[in-house]
Amino acid sequence: MNSLLSARDLTISFGPVHALRGVGLDLRAGEIQALCGENGAGKSTLIKVLMGIYQPDKGVVEVDGVAQRIASPQHAQEMGFALVAQELSLAPQLSVLDNIWLGDRSVPMFHRRKALREKARRALETLQVQIDLDAKVNDLTMGQRQLVEIARMIARDARVLILDEPTATLSDVEIEHLFQVLRKLRAQGHAILYVTHRLGEVFEICDTVTVMRNGAHISTGPVSEVSREQLVETMLGRSFSDMYPERLPGPGSTGLSVSGLCIDGSFENVSFDAPRGKILCLAGQIGSGAGHVIRAIGGLAPLTSGRMLLDGRPLTGSARGSTIAFISEDRAKEGLFDRSVLENLVAGQWQDHARLGMISWTSARRRAAELAASVGIDGRRLATNAFNFSGGNQQKILFARAAGGKTPGVILMNEPTRGVDIGARSEIYRLMRDLCTRGYCLVMMSTDLEEVVGIADIVVPMYRGAVVAHYEGEEIDISRILLDITHPRTAGEVPRETVGP
Amino acid sequence: MKPSVLSDMSVPVTPAPGRFTWMTDRIDFVDGLRIAVFAALAIGAVLTPGFLSVPSLLSLLTTLSFVGCVAVGMTMITLSGNIMSFSLGATAAAAAVAFVHVLNAWGLAAGIAAALVTGALISAAQGLIIGSLRANPIIVSIASLALIYGVLNLLTGNATLDVETGSVLSPAWRRPFGIPIEALAFLLCLFIGQCLLSFTVFGRRVFLIGSGMRSADVLGLRVWRSVTAVYAWAGVFAAMAGILLATRYNQANMEYGIGYDYDAIAAVLVGGVAIKGGIGSMWRTLAGVCLMATVQVVLLLHGFRQEWQYLIAGLIVLLVVVLQARRRS
Repeated sequence: MNSLLSARDLTISFGPVHALRGVGLDLRAGEIQALCGENGAGKSTLIKVLMGIYQPDKGVVEVDGVAQRIASPQHAQEMGFALVAQELSLAPQLSVLDNIWLGDRSVPMFHRRKALREKARRALETLQVQIDLDAKVNDLTMGQRQLVEIARMIARDARVLILDEPTATLSDVEIEHLFQVLRKLRAQGHAILYVTHRLGEVFEICDTVTVMRNGAHISTGPVSEVSREQLVETMLGRSFSDMYPERLPGPGSTGLSVSGLCIDGSFENVSFDAPRGKILCLAGQIGSGAGHVIRAIGGLAPLTSGRMLLDGRPLTGSARGSTIAFISEDRAKEGLFDRSVLENLVAGQWQDHARLGMISWTSARRRAAELAASVGIDGRRLATNAFNFSGGNQQKILFARAAGGKTPGVILMNEPTRGVDIGARSEIYRLMRDLCTRGYCLVMMSTDLEEVVGIADIVVPMYRGAVVAHYEGEEIDISRILLDITHPRTAGEVPRETVGP
Repeated sequence: MKPSVLSDMSVPVTPAPGRFTWMTDRIDFVDGLRIAVFAALAIGAVLTPGFLSVPSLLSLLTTLSFVGCVAVGMTMITLSGNIMSFSLGATAAAAAVAFVHVLNAWGLAAGIAAALVTGALISAAQGLIIGSLRANPIIVSIASLALIYGVLNLLTGNATLDVETGSVLSPAWRRPFGIPIEALAFLLCLFIGQCLLSFTVFGRRVFLIGSGMRSADVLGLRVWRSVTAVYAWAGVFAAMAGILLATRYNQANMEYGIGYDYDAIAAVLVGGVAIKGGIGSMWRTLAGVCLMATVQVVLLLHGFRQEWQYLIAGLIVLLVVVLQARRRS
């Protein structure tokens, strides 16, 4: 059978980072293909190339056997490609009908309301979903919004649907509904590229699976011919246990202790003890509030109520600055400065390299060299702009800065390996363990459960703003955590993913 | 046992040789273009009859010094990521009025002090609002502009205030070593400004905040303090322009300094300070001030009228902004 979409040898680099290295992809009509890979494997870059957002340095995309240069998102849309992104692009104050046609260039200046309405109705009917065309999107559930987004693509005659983590914010029932819709679309001859972290869904809904790693295509094959373990190891490129350093024995000493933390509308009554020398991980999906908890502890969002103790003493505003460091998931905006590595490393410490307000470059340079060496950044590149480094090295710079204080404190991290390529990931994990050895207290948040299970000593799963469980040591188990963060109130049910790696 | 990557801090590390960061500037294509423009202009100026004479050059130096002081303050604001201010000209006027008032009552030193403090306070108040509330700096400066003129009008009734002794400075002091006092004051401002930027903790924070304000917040730098200080210094440099104006004309008027904001912004941008903040130096501003002033004088000497000068200045600034925007994308 012929491919509807066929990509060959796609290559693209951003500065020194090779985001795609000769990637190929074949997508047939009537097929749901899973696209799997770790964070930083190149999945989203590939999607952006297919959608005309990035132009590849090399390689071709063939549609129905004809080579095409996808010049822009509009062009991609004209060829029948449609992307349902993780963050939906609906206008919440408009009706479903308006949203379906929003931004479509084929809609004339003066709406032929009747025809458009009819076509939108038919799109919803194809999906067999009951949603009122005049309802405001704001009043719909997340699952319904996702379906509206898909209906919008169907109404525009999309043939290739690309879904990026479509179930991340959905409840179980909604996921089931989405799967029914996807099966229907498959039967009608649509081609679906399904990007997911959740391996259970690969086996439940997909026909073939493509694995990417480190910007390269690794394998493609029928889902029926691979096991879950094989899939995980193909994604990691090594056996699971090599990725993460060994845990430290012992209970750890008193560190950060929080109780009753609350921000109205975001999370409530969050309490946990994070000992020094251990890694505590809040696990939760987007919208679980876990990321906000980390930000609030770091003083970046005001708490409605709650208490925080460090080493048994209340944590006050002035103590915070010197003992708590926060490493954001958004390195470019909330971490690095558009300046040299040297200045990034000593950014918060200039007063230590100054007398009467006058700075000493010699002293700062010596300190920066030490910090760079401590995380394995080349000391000859101190004068290079930090933005010219790869994601992994940028993260190392931020770790060096966070661990540059006089006494070990607390390091808070949101998604510490987002955008870090696979090779650098295990180095980052090793750095985290080294910080534990030095007596730091590490508190992180991650949506990547493999990572949570691999690195954390203590796991605190969160669901819709509340802590739902607490696991330590042997209790840490991927399927239990997955159950907790997706639908904790129906804990008696069989979990969606029953096999752990 | 695995070797620890992080724990061993005691090993002495030899700092790498090479270019270092107190030279905050890099020279690239656009800078090359800029240097070519400077060279072309210098040649044009030299070939212009009447340009290369001592009186002509001295008067050029005097006129550019007023705007120059304001431009030094503007550079601080632009570098800190707050784009530009439209109230520095008005601040200069307020400082001039304060200068003459206090001068008449208590003498020269008190007058200078009063003017500098007035400028610092007016401007620091804006910095406080911008830094702590993250208000839009341009809007705040426009509101302040109206506020300053309103208060000045109430206080002076738009009357010109004369220096009672007739003259602030004796003729010997107007030209120490044959150089206009205005030019000396401008160079002093430039020097102080660049020292602040290059050699103080405050200066490093200005660059950090200008190249990543959110990152500075997350790092725990008290951004509002630095921004307030930036504006206070900008007010001091603007006040210096006010003092120079009052000294030159031996009077003060609330309409002093009108249009200086625009000229200062033009000079800062043409000199090559990045409008997004974080890149630039006082030397670039000096180059921009000289270029804009030279263009005006050359046009004047060739008999172009005022409207042509505006037109050319506008075109130059627009070109620079377009080039900067292109480089970013």
